[in-house]
Amino acid sequence: MKTSFVFSGAGGQGIMSAGITLAQAAIDMGKHATYLPEYGPEQRGGSAKCTVVVSDDPIVSPLPRQCDNLIVMNAQAYEKFFEDLKPGGVLLTNLNRVAEANDRDDVRLLPVPVDDIALELGNPKTANIILLGVLTGATGIVSREIFVQSLTEKFGKKPEVLDMNIRALDKGIEIGKQYKA
Amino acid sequence: MGEKRFMKGNEAIAEAAVRGGCRFFAGYPITPQNEIPEYLSWRLPEVGGVYVQGESEVASVNMVYGAAAMGTRSMTSSSGPGISLKAEGISYLAAAMLPALIVNISRGGPGLGSIQPAQSDYLQATKALGHGGFHCMVFAPNSAQEAVDIVYDAWEYAERDRNPVLVLMDGCLGNIMEEVELPPMKERTDADIPEWSLSRRNGRDYQGNITPIYTEPILEGINMMAGEMYKQWEEDDVKVEEFMTEDAEYIVVAYGIASRVSKEAVLTLREKGVKIGLIRPITLFPFPKASLRDLDYSRVKGIIDVEMTIPAQMREDIELQVMGRCPVYEYGRSGGCLLDDDGVLEAIEEIIAGGNDE
Repeated sequence: MKTSFVFSGAGGQGIMSAGITLAQAAIDMGKHATYLPEYGPEQRGGSAKCTVVVSDDPIVSPLPRQCDNLIVMNAQAYEKFFEDLKPGGVLLTNLNRVAEANDRDDVRLLPVPVDDIALELGNPKTANIILLGVLTGATGIVSREIFVQSLTEKFGKKPEVLDMNIRALDKGIEIGKQYKA
Repeated sequence: MGEKRFMKGNEAIAEAAVRGGCRFFAGYPITPQNEIPEYLSWRLPEVGGVYVQGESEVASVNMVYGAAAMGTRSMTSSSGPGISLKAEGISYLAAAMLPALIVNISRGGPGLGSIQPAQSDYLQATKALGHGGFHCMVFAPNSAQEAVDIVYDAWEYAERDRNPVLVLMDGCLGNIMEEVELPPMKERTDADIPEWSLSRRNGRDYQGNITPIYTEPILEGINMMAGEMYKQWEEDDVKVEEFMTEDAEYIVVAYGIASRVSKEAVLTLREKGVKIGLIRPITLFPFPKASLRDLDYSRVKGIIDVEMTIPAQMREDIELQVMGRCPVYEYGRSGGCLLDDDGVLEAIEEIIAGGNDE
């Protein structure tokens, strides 16, 4: 079983870090994963994209043309990449920045107001963790426990940051479960 | 024994270099290889090594020349345009018979090209890394793990031959994160420093002599020795992966990132009943001539050269071995546009269907 993910948005939205976190979590679960970042020469605000492939077997090619799950964090990313999703794939959009995503009627659309939820939780930076939560809840690609473990490794020394991230993850999972296929 | 980590190809190269004994790095920033110097800038001091960000590519490669002359395992890394700037220094390293590791994480070209990945430096790497008609062994790993294994042993070849070694990877492999198993640190002592190095007197009353300058008859002799060495590489050092070639009617030839996308296509086509295989040069120089020369051309209907550059650059090396016994086709993407699974698959299917002119 091989599953691919494309995370896309603007530099600064946590796109790359979401991709790495997912790939690392998959590896922690005993799967194989590749992570490929693509970015322009800008330091901030340019487009950011990364491709993650997760598989039970060693990964031959890390370069799928179309992915199974497309995550778009802003309108530019949506316009640029909506065709890169396989028919039947999952299109997870940041509803706050992608108002309409009606170009594809052959995919599962998951519009989530990620920015609003992140603000409600108290930190806009948690948007990418919410997204990972939604993916976890909707696809079950990795378990909550594994994510919590990796968040603990990353933020263990800052309990309040860790707590906020776990709440963001759980909020995402809760939303994702509503979309579970 | 091994230690598993999820690492970027560039960082894996840097760590493998340290574990393989590298204690000197000099370089100048350029995308998409920046993680190599960034990593070594903190890692080398940890093991008593020296990291220098030179004022230019030219200065950096000449610092490598100096450190290598002292017998220190030394390296530099860059990407296409930077390798061009280092060309003079690499030629001097070859002339002075100094071991060193050069890493090219290649990008689109020519000129400044693109900062995005491409395999556009094959000809530079294999035919003329600089002026004067010398060669380096050129390794083209296709994963972070293979890069680790090759870089770890790069100085064994370089010191054996007293010649620089080139590792050629594209920006895609340099930036992909994958799981790698790291080998243990090579424990080296002063006794491991080569006899010829300037840091060893060996009873001489002078400090030895390293020079890239020779008078006529000696230079000819140096050229002849190099020629013999290149022949010996063909005997001893060719590395190649042959995948599902035994009964194949079509053979894809690809190296580096292109070989991974191509292998995926081969696997898909095999499921559809197409008799197709893959030949993957791991050493681009010496080129795996025999793998292509000795195919059964009463069976093989076509060779397909897949590269992430346009036009294909490995094609002539392939054609020299095929010798007109079957058609040679090519497919590629270029300029920083990446190959992808479906694109390679469709191109191969089209070629097999006869829709592509030779």
